[in-house]
Amino acid sequence: MPDFLNSIGYEAWVLPTLLAIPVAGALVLLLHGASSKGEGGGGLDDAGAMFARRITLFTFLLEFVVSIGLWWVVLPGEAGFRAVVDLPWIRTWGIRFALGVDGISVMLVLLTTLIMPLVVLGGWTSVRTKVHAYHALMLILTSGMLGVFVARDLFLFYVMWEVMLVPMYFIVGIWGGARRLYAALKFFLFTMVGSLLMLVAILYLGIKAGDPATGIPNFAFDRIFAAAAQHAQGSLELSWLGLSIPADTLLFLAFFGAFAVKVPMFPFHTWLPDAHVEAPTAGSVILASIMLKLGTYGFIRLAIPLFPAAAMSPGMRTGIIILAVVGVIYGSLVAMVQTDFKKLVAYSSVAHLGMVMLGLFALTRESVQGAMMVMLGHGLSTGALFLLIGMIYERRHSREIAAYGGIAKVAPVFATLLTVVALSSIGLPGTNGFISEFLVMVGSFKTFPYLTTISAIGVILGAAYMLWAIQRIIYNPLDKADNEHLTDLNWREIGLLVPVLIGILWLGLYPKPVLARMEAATTNFVRSVEAGAATQSASLPAGGR
Amino acid sequence: MLLQEATTGAHPLSGSIAELVWLIPVLPFIGFLINGWLSIASAVRVGPRDPSAAGHDAAGHAEDHGHGGDSGGAHGDDHHVAARHKYASLVSLVGPAVLLLSFGLTVAIFMAMLGVSREAPFVRTLFSWIPAGDLHIDAALQVDPLSMVMTLVITGVGTLIHIFSVGYMQDDPGYPRYFAYLNLFVSFMLVLVLGASYPVLFVGWEGVGLCSYLLIGFWFTDKANADAGKKAFIVNRIGDFGFLIAMFLMFANLGALDFAGVSAAAPALGLNSALATTICLFLFLGCAGKSAQIPLYVWLPDAMAGPTPVSALIHAATMVTAGVYLIARSSFLFSLAPVAQLTVAFIGALTALFAATIGLKQWDIKRVLAYSTVSQLGYMFVGVGVGAYAAGVFHLVTHAFFKALLFLGSGSVIFAMHRAYHATHNHDDAQDMRNMGGLRRYMPVTFVLMWIATLAIAGIPIFAGFFSKDEILGAVFERAHESTLSQVSWLGIPGTTLLYVIYAMGLAAALLTAIYMTRMMLYTFHGPNRSGETEQSHLAEAPWVMTGPLVVLGVLSAFGGWLNLPALLPIGPIGVLEHWLEPVVGPATAAVTGSAAEPAHSTEFALIGAAVAIAVLGIIIAFVRLKPARLVPKAQAPEEQGIERVLLNKYYVDELYDRTIVRPTVWVSRSVLSQGVDQGLIDKVLVTWVGTGIPRLFGWFGSRLQSGQVGTYAWVLLIGVIAVLGAFTLR
Amino acid sequence: MPIDVTLPGGLTLALVPDLILIAGAMVLMLWAAWRPDSASHQRSVGVGALLLTVVTTVAVIVFAMGGYTAKPGIIAVDGFRWGSDLIFLLATFIAIALSIDYNTREGIDAPESHVLVLFATSGMMMLAAARDLMIIFLGIELMSIAVYVLAGLNRRSGRSAEAAIKYFLLGAFSTAFLLYGIALVYGATGATNLTVIADRVRQFQLGESPMLLAGIALLLVGFSFKVAAAPFHMWTPDVYEGAPTPITGYMAAAVKAAGFAAFLRVWLEAFGGSYTRWHVAVWWIAAITMVVGNVVALSQKNLKRLLAYSSIAHSGFVLVALVVGTSAGSSAFIFYLFAYTLATMGAFAVIVALGQPGEGDLTIESYAGLWNDRPWMAAAMTVFMLALLGFPIVGGIGFLAKWYVLQAALQAPAPQARLAVLLVITTAISAGYYLQVVRVMYMKPRAANAVASLPTGRLTRFVIAAAAILIVVLGLFPDSLANLAQRGAAIPPAPQTATAATETPLPTAGGR
Repeated sequence: MPDFLNSIGYEAWVLPTLLAIPVAGALVLLLHGASSKGEGGGGLDDAGAMFARRITLFTFLLEFVVSIGLWWVVLPGEAGFRAVVDLPWIRTWGIRFALGVDGISVMLVLLTTLIMPLVVLGGWTSVRTKVHAYHALMLILTSGMLGVFVARDLFLFYVMWEVMLVPMYFIVGIWGGARRLYAALKFFLFTMVGSLLMLVAILYLGIKAGDPATGIPNFAFDRIFAAAAQHAQGSLELSWLGLSIPADTLLFLAFFGAFAVKVPMFPFHTWLPDAHVEAPTAGSVILASIMLKLGTYGFIRLAIPLFPAAAMSPGMRTGIIILAVVGVIYGSLVAMVQTDFKKLVAYSSVAHLGMVMLGLFALTRESVQGAMMVMLGHGLSTGALFLLIGMIYERRHSREIAAYGGIAKVAPVFATLLTVVALSSIGLPGTNGFISEFLVMVGSFKTFPYLTTISAIGVILGAAYMLWAIQRIIYNPLDKADNEHLTDLNWREIGLLVPVLIGILWLGLYPKPVLARMEAATTNFVRSVEAGAATQSASLPAGGR
Repeated sequence: MLLQEATTGAHPLSGSIAELVWLIPVLPFIGFLINGWLSIASAVRVGPRDPSAAGHDAAGHAEDHGHGGDSGGAHGDDHHVAARHKYASLVSLVGPAVLLLSFGLTVAIFMAMLGVSREAPFVRTLFSWIPAGDLHIDAALQVDPLSMVMTLVITGVGTLIHIFSVGYMQDDPGYPRYFAYLNLFVSFMLVLVLGASYPVLFVGWEGVGLCSYLLIGFWFTDKANADAGKKAFIVNRIGDFGFLIAMFLMFANLGALDFAGVSAAAPALGLNSALATTICLFLFLGCAGKSAQIPLYVWLPDAMAGPTPVSALIHAATMVTAGVYLIARSSFLFSLAPVAQLTVAFIGALTALFAATIGLKQWDIKRVLAYSTVSQLGYMFVGVGVGAYAAGVFHLVTHAFFKALLFLGSGSVIFAMHRAYHATHNHDDAQDMRNMGGLRRYMPVTFVLMWIATLAIAGIPIFAGFFSKDEILGAVFERAHESTLSQVSWLGIPGTTLLYVIYAMGLAAALLTAIYMTRMMLYTFHGPNRSGETEQSHLAEAPWVMTGPLVVLGVLSAFGGWLNLPALLPIGPIGVLEHWLEPVVGPATAAVTGSAAEPAHSTEFALIGAAVAIAVLGIIIAFVRLKPARLVPKAQAPEEQGIERVLLNKYYVDELYDRTIVRPTVWVSRSVLSQGVDQGLIDKVLVTWVGTGIPRLFGWFGSRLQSGQVGTYAWVLLIGVIAVLGAFTLR
Repeated sequence: MPIDVTLPGGLTLALVPDLILIAGAMVLMLWAAWRPDSASHQRSVGVGALLLTVVTTVAVIVFAMGGYTAKPGIIAVDGFRWGSDLIFLLATFIAIALSIDYNTREGIDAPESHVLVLFATSGMMMLAAARDLMIIFLGIELMSIAVYVLAGLNRRSGRSAEAAIKYFLLGAFSTAFLLYGIALVYGATGATNLTVIADRVRQFQLGESPMLLAGIALLLVGFSFKVAAAPFHMWTPDVYEGAPTPITGYMAAAVKAAGFAAFLRVWLEAFGGSYTRWHVAVWWIAAITMVVGNVVALSQKNLKRLLAYSSIAHSGFVLVALVVGTSAGSSAFIFYLFAYTLATMGAFAVIVALGQPGEGDLTIESYAGLWNDRPWMAAAMTVFMLALLGFPIVGGIGFLAKWYVLQAALQAPAPQARLAVLLVITTAISAGYYLQVVRVMYMKPRAANAVASLPTGRLTRFVIAAAAILIVVLGLFPDSLANLAQRGAAIPPAPQTATAATETPLPTAGGR
């Protein structure tokens, strides 16, 4: 396979192509949408709508096929960036169009390209208004998300980071539920407010990394990292309202704000339940499966390695880990008492992502690998959960757990799939959930035994809220008239869930290929951060921290 | 890791049939796949292409033979008795067959082991499962005496119970699903006992928990059953939490998680070290969950909501004994932590006694057996607790025989009762002993076999239970005399004292066991029949497919004791099982007993005498005090009063947990966290007030200033001028 | 080649573009008066005005490319002047194009309106060129008087008249301060020429002279009024709301830009030496303007008022570039004003396009469900709003403009970290109201009683499309524009004293 890829010069064009394909698809849809009036109800018999769906599905499948090769591009044992592209973009400001993937980002890219086609299939019949615009937005959104994962220029990273907001804002705000306006605005403002301070920090670093002679900044990752390291040595102090804080701590906090909101960490999480609940199925799935990972990805790619000393200073580190653990417990407890299944899953995401943060900041090779696995696994299982909720919602138009009960009797396939996915979400051995959470905790236990022990309580709570919900939905007496004639899943719905199930079991039973590909990059991450933290904190003045 | 490969490389079993050990769990799994597929295939009716258009399409109406369509079956509410499932014959073939095959394979491997040295375990590494950082967990299975004993019991008893189920579940609409779950359970159970590392063991550990969850809630349209299943899973998760922490501690401090690695590194911890004790206590928390010990026993009685063969297989013979297995397996750790061992033994004894008292007043025949199971598990923990691992495992085996027999027997009783009720459309409780009585006339085979099992569990000589139970009690007495346990003190109590107390509790529990078991037999089989005239005519012995397995189990319960005869009674080979297990648990046992001299025969005889006397006494008491003739059917039964009521309601422990743990947690989550913090503090105060309140304030202020009056504007402008001038001149 | 602007010939050469515009405007004036007012006449004069604008633009570009320079004199010949001129002319073109359609719809048969716009523009070009306080005053008056009239153009509308009179009164008020400031500066230095002032200040150590400082302060007030910086912004919402929409756009973009051009030139060329004294006041004005503009805008219901406050907010952002006081600052300044002009004029163009005769209802809510019947219009408005918000890609150069200003602020020898942070925070606040417009257009259903909007004039449609496309495309490929802006930074950077070399602390004076 690698030979074949080399023969077609795969690495040279793959990443730009991945960013371009969805945009091209979106343009096709816009032109076609402008020409077709959009009458016909948007159902399966509406030719225009079906065209939009087919084109989108095709585009995403193409995207997936193209991306597959990355699996052989990033091979086990390679820490560096592959498939590198580096072109000048805005010379005057020293901004470059630099892309690349390593063991960490490639998995998230593949996750994205895998999930998106399923998302389209998931909304095949449920979206009936403005079908063209809806799919065009999803395509653009995909480019944005992929852009964040593959960017190797800080400016590019920020641009992509912000660009994702708009399509999602519209998807939630236009095709969303009753309180969609509130949810969409909340989502947009939380994320943007969080990320604006990062903008200042990025510029600050870019200037520091730039060449003093011409005064042209430089945002290339490697230069930025060098600058950050050397700069933190100097430990310039920004006096802020009297009290003086080391510069790198301030900069870290700026990045932290952007990423923590996205993750979302307690207490910045309240946008998530609203967005999840109000968003259409596709929105929820994309949010849960991919967008939340952008936050944690930001931590592992930028925030922590850029400012190891600040991030790993005892106070900061412990504080963040405490927030993470609180997120695990708090999320689970709150999830337990939700009456809306989507909200329940949303809070469970808060808990899972808390695990990721724990793993990242515990900073052992196992825990970081585990954190990556949680990111992937959560992408699969929570995405599948939202897809399943969407399917049942499409039939009954209710997300209230209380509206169901005993439907395993009429929809056995749905019940079976829901059970399997739910079990993977609560970390049953043999599914992805176990591997990932086990790794996070077994690793974190080395550095933070007590907090990890507390977070392990989440294992119990997870079972509690998920099984309770499952019972109230598919078990118990079938006593609601509306449910008696519920139809089971159709072939499209079953088919689109199959890949997810395969992924869930694969990651659970034989994760080695994935782990091996991430090993080098994660190890590199851990080592460099440890080293950076050590040297920098050593070189800092006593007053520093 | 390395050490392990070294051994496997040289191992006598390598290349032998033992290489196929992975087939043992895989075979039942294949069965699961086949039956599961049949279940889905028979139930599925694929939905319309456009669900939102045909949301309430009547065509989608599923019939009762669906996945969930089986809320009746043998269980009582019988608003539909479907004809036999369309795949019934195929399922009845596949289900038991896979078990039989893996039993055969187990026997073959067992034979292979007889010939060769069993000092080192034979580890079959399949593939590298979780390689991350310093952690390398292989998907590896381990063949050694202990895992073999467990495997034999599981596949053997499992096969019998599968066969029994063919008859018991024949009319159930969920027939294929039932066998799918049952096969899956066995598969996981085998992974549990064959796994070569704690994580692999944990896979089986949680897997069997899952199956138990599914099988308890098998008739899930009855809320009570679904609740019971959920309760079982969650309580087990509490235990699993302990297990996880134990693993984390091992990895953080011993750097390994596979048995070979841990046992190699464990001695470094040192005797009585705090770390070893902590690890063992956390492990025991896991065992307490899985094996229903105080305080986590509450799920097991409710688990009787499942089909009776399930209770026999999972909640008596195999799964619930996993805790005992885990401790035996971790003997090298426990022997380092006498305090933890005492805890295990004491909790075990307490559970044995406590559950026995509850067993005295239960009316539901399965609940009596459930509490007796809890109690017997307590015995096993006493055994492994005091370092008599072989004895504990021995009791595990015999208990598997007679308790499976008792459950299956009660199963055929319920089966008969249910049929009778069904024929007469009576909706009375088919499991309440007050509705039975005098059944010996209608089902003699079951009657005889049940008595054998009862004598076995009561500890009457020559029956299996006698030997195992006696060995445990004897061991306790021995250890109290001299051992590492007798030297440490537990919560200030000297070890010796505590061990004598435990011994006494054991005897008391034995007495109660004899009483309530006899009571059960009396009320069920003796005295007049209380099920009603018309019903009597329908009462009959179960078909051969059910009685057959009973007979086999009956033989095992009667003569299972020969597996491990004490030196005193040389009526056969002495201590076979003990010698067999020597390589695994021998060193640990020795570490506990130290150089203690064998107690004099006289003492041993005294002990045995006492045990037997207690058992006989119990049976006599029961016969003398209980009058089946006076019993009235459940319907007319009066309310119990006083202590009886307390016992009937299991000391209100469930209620206690509900009020002190469940409800407060939910309340806090709902009122404090969800509504208070999430919607209140964060959303309302921080987001809404700060986010919109301040701008609104400014806006109001601005609009007041923005009056449209040029005069106002001029004044503001002037103020601005003064400010600017100030900024320039003052400094 | 250097032009000697002290000689009449050189002066004339240096003023060629301005002269073209003024002369042309005179001719158009005569033509406008030649025939009786009528819609068609109004249109044809308008078209003439557009042509004149284009011609002038060409002339400016020729000069810009010509690489002319000038010895110190009363007229500057540098990139800054040409860059500013181009911005004015862009705004002028859009304003006239919109006015043609607007006047037709509103029945304003006043061909002279276009000519007035041209006169105002010539005043602006003079401001951009002026290197002498007297010329600056001349330019300001020429511009202002024309705009006063334009504000009251719609004789039928009471609001328009009110706006005009308010603007006139307060404008006069502030001009007084400006003039007095000039007088004081002259009194302190004995010169009105910017370079001479700078020399004298350096020569005779006048940096601390109270008279000079007072003069600077009063000049600051005058300019702040023109650029609508808080607390001298009070007139803006009322005037913007009342004035005819195209003229509002013109004021928001061109007038503001012109004020800033002069502001910047005077500040850096004449008062660069006393940077440490004035930057505190300007710092505070910038900060207050950003906060007031953005926060008060949140509670606006009327679209024109909302844009008025948004324009105030943007004055604050531009002031940041001025506070920086480096050449990077002034290029950022040009870049920003260009982006801002496109976006804000585009927004007003959409208002023109969708307004009903009389513009009775300009509430944001009146745009509910716009997406359904005018999708492209909604899309364009989205681009303009996001550009004003400074959002990447979709907002095109809007984002890059803010980026550039931030970069200048952080790169300066005296990094303005606090202002930068304040800038992004207030930007976040501004999302609140810009998004409100987007949200209404896309996510709210069309009001039941909504009147279908009239077909939009060809010119207006062209302007809107062009502006939107420019914003996005230049946002993707901004290199050329950035180069242009850098050429626009021909002003010598303000010499910064050693005390300003590090992060400048908040002086207590500002606090009082």
